[in-house]
Amino acid sequence: MEERGRGCCPSMDLMRSEAMQLVQLIIPIESAHLAVSYLGDLGLIQFKDLNAEKSPFQRTYAIQIKRCGEMARKLRFFRDQMLKAGLPPPAISGTQPIITLDDLEVKLGDLEAELIEINANGSKLQRSYNELAEYKLVLQKAGDFFHSALSSAEELQREHSQSGEESLETPLLSEQGTTTDPSKQVKLGFITGLVPREKSMAFERILFRATRGNVFLKQATIDEPVIDPGTGDKVEKNVFAIFFSGERARVKILKICEAFGANRYSCNEDLGKQSQMITEVSGRLSELKTTIDAGLVHRGNLLQTIGEQFEQWNLMVRKEKAIYHTLNMLSIDVTKKCLVAEGWSPVFAVKQVQDALHRATHDSNSQVNAIFQVLRTREMPPTFFRTNKFTTAFQEIVDAYGVAKYQEANPGVFTIVTFPFLFAVMFGDWGHGICLLLATSYFIIREKKLSSQKLGDIMEMTFGGRYVIMLMALFSIYTGLIYNEFFSVPFELFARSAYVCRDPECRDSTTIGLIMARDTYPFGVDPAWHGTRSELPFLNSLKMKMSILLGVAQMNLGIVLSFFNAQFFKNRINTWFQFIPQIIFLNSLFGYLSILIIIKWCTGSKADLYHVMIYMFLSPTDDLGENQLFSGQKMTQLVLLLLAFVSVPWMLLPKPFLLKMQHNRHQGGAYAPLQDSEESLQSGANHDSHGHEEFEFSEVFVHQLIHTIEFVLGAVSNTASYLRLWALSLAHSELSSVFYEKVLQLAWGYNNVIILIVGIIIFICATVGVLLVMETLSAFLHALRLHWVEFQNKFYEGDGYKFYPFSFSLIDIEEE
Amino acid sequence: MGFLVTSLIFLVVGVIASLCARICFNRGPSANLLHLTLIITATVCCWMMWAIVYLAQMNPLIVPILNDAE
Repeated sequence: MEERGRGCCPSMDLMRSEAMQLVQLIIPIESAHLAVSYLGDLGLIQFKDLNAEKSPFQRTYAIQIKRCGEMARKLRFFRDQMLKAGLPPPAISGTQPIITLDDLEVKLGDLEAELIEINANGSKLQRSYNELAEYKLVLQKAGDFFHSALSSAEELQREHSQSGEESLETPLLSEQGTTTDPSKQVKLGFITGLVPREKSMAFERILFRATRGNVFLKQATIDEPVIDPGTGDKVEKNVFAIFFSGERARVKILKICEAFGANRYSCNEDLGKQSQMITEVSGRLSELKTTIDAGLVHRGNLLQTIGEQFEQWNLMVRKEKAIYHTLNMLSIDVTKKCLVAEGWSPVFAVKQVQDALHRATHDSNSQVNAIFQVLRTREMPPTFFRTNKFTTAFQEIVDAYGVAKYQEANPGVFTIVTFPFLFAVMFGDWGHGICLLLATSYFIIREKKLSSQKLGDIMEMTFGGRYVIMLMALFSIYTGLIYNEFFSVPFELFARSAYVCRDPECRDSTTIGLIMARDTYPFGVDPAWHGTRSELPFLNSLKMKMSILLGVAQMNLGIVLSFFNAQFFKNRINTWFQFIPQIIFLNSLFGYLSILIIIKWCTGSKADLYHVMIYMFLSPTDDLGENQLFSGQKMTQLVLLLLAFVSVPWMLLPKPFLLKMQHNRHQGGAYAPLQDSEESLQSGANHDSHGHEEFEFSEVFVHQLIHTIEFVLGAVSNTASYLRLWALSLAHSELSSVFYEKVLQLAWGYNNVIILIVGIIIFICATVGVLLVMETLSAFLHALRLHWVEFQNKFYEGDGYKFYPFSFSLIDIEEE
Repeated sequence: MGFLVTSLIFLVVGVIASLCARICFNRGPSANLLHLTLIITATVCCWMMWAIVYLAQMNPLIVPILNDAE
């Protein structure tokens, strides 16, 4: 089954999956960690999970994975802190200091504790600082109250002492003047503090109501917002001073202050003591500031040192986690003190894997070498294509529909050319093609720089498909030259147009039209057609027939690929009873149509091909009359019709019966001696031995019936589906022509510079938005559909699974 | 220039392209075969498209009829 290359020519790697084999590695425990690490660097083994029944907690290395998880959490914490501190994201440095996992764990733990401590201290200091700042403001503003009250009282006192009267305005605070009994003096208490400005009105009102109007509140606004010590936000606040008498009022006021979140600060009436307090507070504030700054600098340094080594630690932790996950998949052979690993690996990688194992044994100073064995199994291996940066995008397009079954023909090989080609048939305009080419060459030229950057989602997709778009653009330039459209304008590039006026005055040019006087225009559509009344009938007929011809060609290619598959898998039933009737059916109907099209073009006959095809079925024995394209046509059509009718039961009937006979033959020979070879440890799961297959004849027959109906009906519908090549190409050229004529030419006609500039801008926006973006996506999608459905359903099974090796580079991509 | 002559030109261009690919991008037999396949496919596709458009214009059944304006 592994025969590659048929002697005459070498095999093509991309055509069929790499040969894969199931390997078994027996690794001694002391070198297991290193061995898995080196295999991860190599990236060519896909390990099978031999402990699938165990839960994650029952596995051998669950503790190590938890440790790695803890370390990853600490690293995430560091990253958050670095982002909050505004440090630039850590860059990947080149040096690789060697540090063991245990040391790293300890170091991370220490750093985390230190960072948490610094943060806690910092926030405490900040809080004290904010409180002191508020206190200072209260002292200043409340001091102003007292000062102004005292000075106005003294002023009024002086006035009144001058006037010598007692009136209502005699200030109460002139204690020097009163001679009342000290015990009868009403002692006023006061409370000072800060309240948020939006709550100040409500504060005042509630105070008033609660104390029945027996308080005096004075407020002063603070211009800049103040940092609230509790929340840390900047809030606009007012300084207040409440004067009250009595203990009960005091209690009420205190409660109200707390409810409103007003911070209280005690204040002394005495002016001298106030200024003393202010200087003291200012001193403490500046001290605190220097302490806080020193703390921030210390934290910054710590984060800096973390940042330098962050990426390496990150990488190391991820690698270790991956290694332990993999080690968990291996089964422990308790008696022999070694680990058994099973995995899929390409045949070409045998030497590399063995080298990696030898190095691991050597580096871990182990006495025993690891053992490498190939197992025989009937499981289907994963599919692996070795692609480079150019073919990867095309392979992904194919894989998006379904991953190829192991070693079946890969449509990706042909998709590299046919996909951009079909896109270009729908997009054909060499001006637009040049724009696309310029856009994608920007991506290709700056490939190295852009591939290491993080781009947005859409940019990422466009960048990934840059080679696809480049081919699409190149083919579009070609088809644009053939359709003769440069932003819908034709040019006489290759020779003079074939059409001239019938007479020198061109009188008949608008009624009967031009006449073909020179040779056929050698490359592409004649430029004389553009803008004429009969342009659309001509182009439609041309493009429809072109779509049919291209479609029949691609479908035939698909059926031929199914022949190659049948040859490779040595499936003679498929060759004789599937490939041959399919080819005969498709070509006797649609191949014949293609030939008729070509003959009609070559001879210039006026035969109606619709008529010919339909009456070939309805009344094949009738005389063709003027629809005769070549002699012997009636006989040919009868023969082809007969072949088509015969091929349908040929596809349907023999295969199920032959399969049944084959199955019976194998049943008889089921008791062959067992071969002496190692079987996989997991062989119980999907063991495909000979005799186990249930052969339900009715199921097979129905399957073949469905397949036959699908092919027969599909022949018609798929051929018609290719007409979308015509439809999209027509849409593109019409849109392009409308934008050119109705925008650019219209703007040009006014002979006004401003209108021209506006017209050019509109033209550019419309071209880029509608034609270059929307039409590109649309043609891309339809070309994709033609490949996925019409081409691939002729031969592709696509039910394989992809080879996903254990590789550190893949894990990095995954984590991002 | 005639159908056959231009078809021959396509063939020659295809051959030259395969030789260039073999000279500039020689990367082992499997990759060379892949390049050859791609070039042959591209040449065949391009030739088919050109041939279809050329054949359709060789013996036309309708002729351009100009518009009345201008």
